[in-house]
Amino acid sequence: MNTTSAGKTKTKRYSYFKHFSTLFLILFLFWTTLSGKLDVKHLTIGAVTSLVVVWVTLSLLRLPSGENKDEYYLAFDIPIRRLLAYVPWLIWEVVKANVHVALIVLNPKMPIEPKVFAFKKKMDSPIAHVFLANSITLTPGTITVDLQDNVYIVHALDEDAEKALTPDEGEGIMPEKVARLFQENEVEGRGD
Amino acid sequence: MKYLALLFLLGGFFFTFVAALGVIRFPDFYTRMHASGKGDTLGVALSIIGLIFYLAIEDGFTFTSVKLLFIVVFIFLANPIGTHAICRAAYRCGLKPWTRGGE
Amino acid sequence: MDFTYVFMALIIGLAVIAVLMLYRVLHGPTVFDRLNGLAVIGTDAILLLVLLGVLSGRVDMFVDVAIAYSILGFISMVIFAKYLEGKGDADV
Repeated sequence: MNTTSAGKTKTKRYSYFKHFSTLFLILFLFWTTLSGKLDVKHLTIGAVTSLVVVWVTLSLLRLPSGENKDEYYLAFDIPIRRLLAYVPWLIWEVVKANVHVALIVLNPKMPIEPKVFAFKKKMDSPIAHVFLANSITLTPGTITVDLQDNVYIVHALDEDAEKALTPDEGEGIMPEKVARLFQENEVEGRGD
Repeated sequence: MKYLALLFLLGGFFFTFVAALGVIRFPDFYTRMHASGKGDTLGVALSIIGLIFYLAIEDGFTFTSVKLLFIVVFIFLANPIGTHAICRAAYRCGLKPWTRGGE
Repeated sequence: MDFTYVFMALIIGLAVIAVLMLYRVLHGPTVFDRLNGLAVIGTDAILLLVLLGVLSGRVDMFVDVAIAYSILGFISMVIFAKYLEGKGDADV
């Protein structure tokens, strides 16, 4: 009992330190890119500024997990290697979406059948929700209107767009891909 | 490289223009958000990538290119969030979506 | 091939888009449509700034302005949306 609680506080502190240093590194890299100078004066000013900014904003950027309020996610905590596989697919979908919208706009009859529908996708990490909502907005015929308690309210231009996101059986390609990007399916299966 | 830059610039401008046309032509608020949310994001991003190619003809890949790339990534993240924020405000204020059947 | 004319044509085209959006901003019908028009103008202004920078040969300076403008535009849109959400009135 004693050891587990001690271990828990230890991991909590460790996660705070990890988030602090990650955010600091990101901001410092950003500073270096923007200033474009690599001498001691600019790097020192950058380090001090990044430290102050991290100190002020870290409590805003640590988002509590949906399941366990004691655990936190950092807002920049994105699995970069799996993201590299996801982004080309997303860009292709965005191009398809734009051609779709362009065809509708340039068609004088304007073939749309708008409707609003809701679907549920349970995910723990708030960053995964941000990614899924953004991806829905960018892909053919759908925009996210509201998101609360894992329920998405989506506005679709026509029937095909709705069926692409929520088919009659199973779940759509995109929610599954985003869940795999953040490994949310495995978290549910493990059950701890 | 030159022609690639030209292709990206003109393609980006085409999508931006279609987005503007869509905002004028679509019948109600939510459908207009479709046009502006998608068309603007890809249009501006494509044009800026075209500019990166154009700048790379003379100078190569510099800090300016990195900054332009940062603008592209930021637009891809921020534009859908802005769209979503305005849409949610309209939805929670009770704005009804347009349907083909009428009221 | 001279890119100067391409850039000038793009700048004029973006100005035309801004005027089209001004119709949406002035005409309404709801306050959210006006906000949407402003958002489109803001996003296109980023591209306009960078194009002006390339045309005048000072991209390195104009890019910083464009970054600041994009961040400010995004934040002001979100704040406007939050403010209108609290009012709870669709027919403004």
